[in-house]
Amino acid sequence: MVIANNAIAQPCNYLLSGHVEDVDTNEKLVAATASIKETGKQIVTNEKGDFVFTALCAGEYTLLITHVSCDTVVKKIILTKDYHIDILMPHTRKVLGKVVVNAQKGTANTGFKKELSGRALEETKGLSLAEALSKINGITILQTGSTISKPVIHGLHSNRILTINNGVRQEGQQWGNEHAPEIDPFIADKLIVIKGVDELRYGSDAIGGVILVEAKPLRNKPGHAAEINNAYFANNRQYVFSGMFEQQLKKQPAFRFRVQGTYKKGANATTPNYRLNNTGSEEKNFSITTGWKKEKFNTEIFYSHFATKVGIFNGAHIGNLTDLLNAIVAKKPNDVFLGQNTYTIQRPYQDVSHDLLKSKSIFYSGEHKFTILLAGQFNHRKEFDIVRSSTNKNPQLDLSIYTITEDLSWEHQKINNFSGIAGVSMMQQDNSYNGRYFIPNYFAYSFGGYYIEKWSKHKWELQAGVRYDNKSINTTRLKFNADTINYDFNFSTFASSFNTVYKPTENWKLNTNISLASRAPYVNELLSDGIHHGTATYEKGDISLKPEHSINVSAGINYQHSSKNFSMDVLLYSNSINNFIYQQPMPNNPVLTIAGAFPLIAYKQTDAVLSGFDISALIKPLSALEWTSKFSFLYARNKILNDWLILMPANRLGNEITYNLKNGKKITNKYLSAEMMNVMQQNNVPSDANGKQDYKVPPAAYTLISMNASATMVVYKTSVTVSIGVRNLLNTAYRDYLNSMRYFTDEMGRNISIRLKIQL
Amino acid sequence: MKKHLLKVAMGILISGALITSCKKETVEEPNEEEVITTMKLSFVPVGGGSTLTYQFKDADGPGGAAPIQDEIVLAPSKSYNVTVQILNEIKTPAEDITIEVAAEADAHRFYYEPTAGSNIVVSGLNNDANSVPVGITGTWATGAIATGKLKVTLRHFGGTPPGKAIGDLVNSPKSSTDIEVEFNTKIQ
Repeated sequence: MVIANNAIAQPCNYLLSGHVEDVDTNEKLVAATASIKETGKQIVTNEKGDFVFTALCAGEYTLLITHVSCDTVVKKIILTKDYHIDILMPHTRKVLGKVVVNAQKGTANTGFKKELSGRALEETKGLSLAEALSKINGITILQTGSTISKPVIHGLHSNRILTINNGVRQEGQQWGNEHAPEIDPFIADKLIVIKGVDELRYGSDAIGGVILVEAKPLRNKPGHAAEINNAYFANNRQYVFSGMFEQQLKKQPAFRFRVQGTYKKGANATTPNYRLNNTGSEEKNFSITTGWKKEKFNTEIFYSHFATKVGIFNGAHIGNLTDLLNAIVAKKPNDVFLGQNTYTIQRPYQDVSHDLLKSKSIFYSGEHKFTILLAGQFNHRKEFDIVRSSTNKNPQLDLSIYTITEDLSWEHQKINNFSGIAGVSMMQQDNSYNGRYFIPNYFAYSFGGYYIEKWSKHKWELQAGVRYDNKSINTTRLKFNADTINYDFNFSTFASSFNTVYKPTENWKLNTNISLASRAPYVNELLSDGIHHGTATYEKGDISLKPEHSINVSAGINYQHSSKNFSMDVLLYSNSINNFIYQQPMPNNPVLTIAGAFPLIAYKQTDAVLSGFDISALIKPLSALEWTSKFSFLYARNKILNDWLILMPANRLGNEITYNLKNGKKITNKYLSAEMMNVMQQNNVPSDANGKQDYKVPPAAYTLISMNASATMVVYKTSVTVSIGVRNLLNTAYRDYLNSMRYFTDEMGRNISIRLKIQL
Repeated sequence: MKKHLLKVAMGILISGALITSCKKETVEEPNEEEVITTMKLSFVPVGGGSTLTYQFKDADGPGGAAPIQDEIVLAPSKSYNVTVQILNEIKTPAEDITIEVAAEADAHRFYYEPTAGSNIVVSGLNNDANSVPVGITGTWATGAIATGKLKVTLRHFGGTPPGKAIGDLVNSPKSSTDIEVEFNTKIQ
């Protein structure tokens, strides 16, 4: 055991020592890795299971201990003098769980995984889930103004992405471009994007990838903790207040719980030259997690409520194609839609709520682990359009969807280098509408099963998996004369994936993957029938659509120099999607309505290919200075029409420099960072030869500069982190191709933010 | 403490189960959304004569069956007092949406745009409370025998306040389109 013996405590001269044992066997754990998150230092325990960090400053540190056959242990330590800690690692369970590890640490990584956590996630506190995810290279956002955003992975979004909220597949009205994910980002401790074999656990239809919103595990130490996050954004006077309290009972340590809530309210946002009326938003969320953990049994109940009300810029109301063409000609919106600095939200707005109740139980039996996951979800989406009569209080679009899911899984421990998981999933869903027809009422039932095995030895890691799903949909549409129109559908979808990881040396990691996925058409693609006001088109579904089939081939190269002063990550991908469902303009069949003629856009199928690469590099020219550079490129073609695909994110280059200041006696984790993001113009858009799809050329390229500064203090044993940030520092007026408001308004101007995090 | 929390947890579970189980299995009548099926123009000849009506009617609303549209046939060198009416004829009895437009006249405006050579002049549109035209009524004057087109547009001013002004053109960025119908016209 290493004990400090320096008599005079100097600043930055403290020792942090520790001893690691297996909790059950008391075996001293050799070669466990102890790392300090804040400094990045890593030490491997010696044959006695000991480690020691030297020359530490006073302050708060996060100590992570990992060992091949144990769960990771995280300890928060407030260092005011030399400190020793004994760590008991949870019992060995060599099952393949969610092995979430940071690739940069050079530890095992399964498939393709990109993660946002720690400091990078902290910098996004107060932003929406999609905005936070867009920090990850290769992920962009699809927006409706500044208040509605949804993530896009390698050009794909909505039904082609699965969002897994706390282990449960999020079921709302995710098909719409202006339907943002209904999740409070403050729940997340990590946001992870996965592609490859692990997708199969969640569905056969993850053509674009899977987003995991992972909460922090419940407290594993008797006592309690609380965290308060506040943020204020000057541009739209948005304030955010989020609080969390968690406890593990001292007398009954098996019982743990956490309560968490967020309140967020923003006023109208301003562009560099004008303020946009009715762009405010409000969000009220809370969640409760309770858990009971014994050695062989572990159960958790989670409930979350999400409610949001978001205004949509009222100068963007489009009655018909003439209106759209007029709006495109105008340099800026009319003054009657500008200039109000208020929190009031008027029509048009969305009012969306999402409730999730989940129960998850895990049983251990010998080398086997069984998980039962039951979840109920209720999503209620109301869209209030501009209406003729101010006495009309009804929403124009009103969709309620109830979903119940049952998932059972079995995992087995690593035997002869194999580990595996198999499971079955079932889902029952009921959707109903009120008001304007856009999609029908329906009942949907699905069942599916999957099996994944992983084999690893020495430098190799091979994984393979298969999944089958069957989905039945019974739809009912009510016609004006009380007749109904019923359609029934049944789709079988199959998916499989194979992944190889090869690590020739400690520095290199090569990863290749081939995945087959298939996605059944969604009801909006089959049966939508109506005017889409945002684009002034008449959208019509097609009941003869068949499932999409994708073959996705990816290759990853990861290099990390032994000094850790340089690392590089390259991902190449090519996703061929047969029967790709897209919207094709039908220029010869306009739909004549009382509001004028609307171009008809029909859902069609083609063969598409989306290829591209994401590349990122990290260089540390000095120990305190870090430069990260990332570039993402996408090439998306309609192979049958031999044309580009519409609404694909433009290529972009990001550069960020971070300077970590030396820790002081009282103030730690000080850093300054500056980021420059160059978004190119999207020139690869469909030609008018096959019918006009868009009426305005994509917006010009733009460059945004953002800055952040942060520091942590310990005040009365309480850790306080203050951060100041600014986005769009130069107050650049720009528009983005993936924002449907690009026809009408500029994007948000300079936005200065201040964040305060208090950990009690 | 623990028991209390367990009770809370149980309560949540049960209420959750109730939420998910008390959904109704029947297909409810959806709250009907406003649909404009019909625009009707009534022509009362100045100085006597029988009233003429011409209409644009999309009986099942947007989509579905194609709308039916009349040709406006008027006598030469005559004046007509014209009233526009917009209806939702899906409901029985038909709902007269003109009443709502009149009630919120300061946020609405009908525009009448005859093509050159149609020999129709529209004037005398009625005003809202702010003395800005709303155009539910007006006078159509015909000239010599001709054929042409006339576009009727109802614009909705969505701002708060709507800010409708006399000079606002049909394509004013302050307003958006509720109705846009182009009639063929014939003076014979």
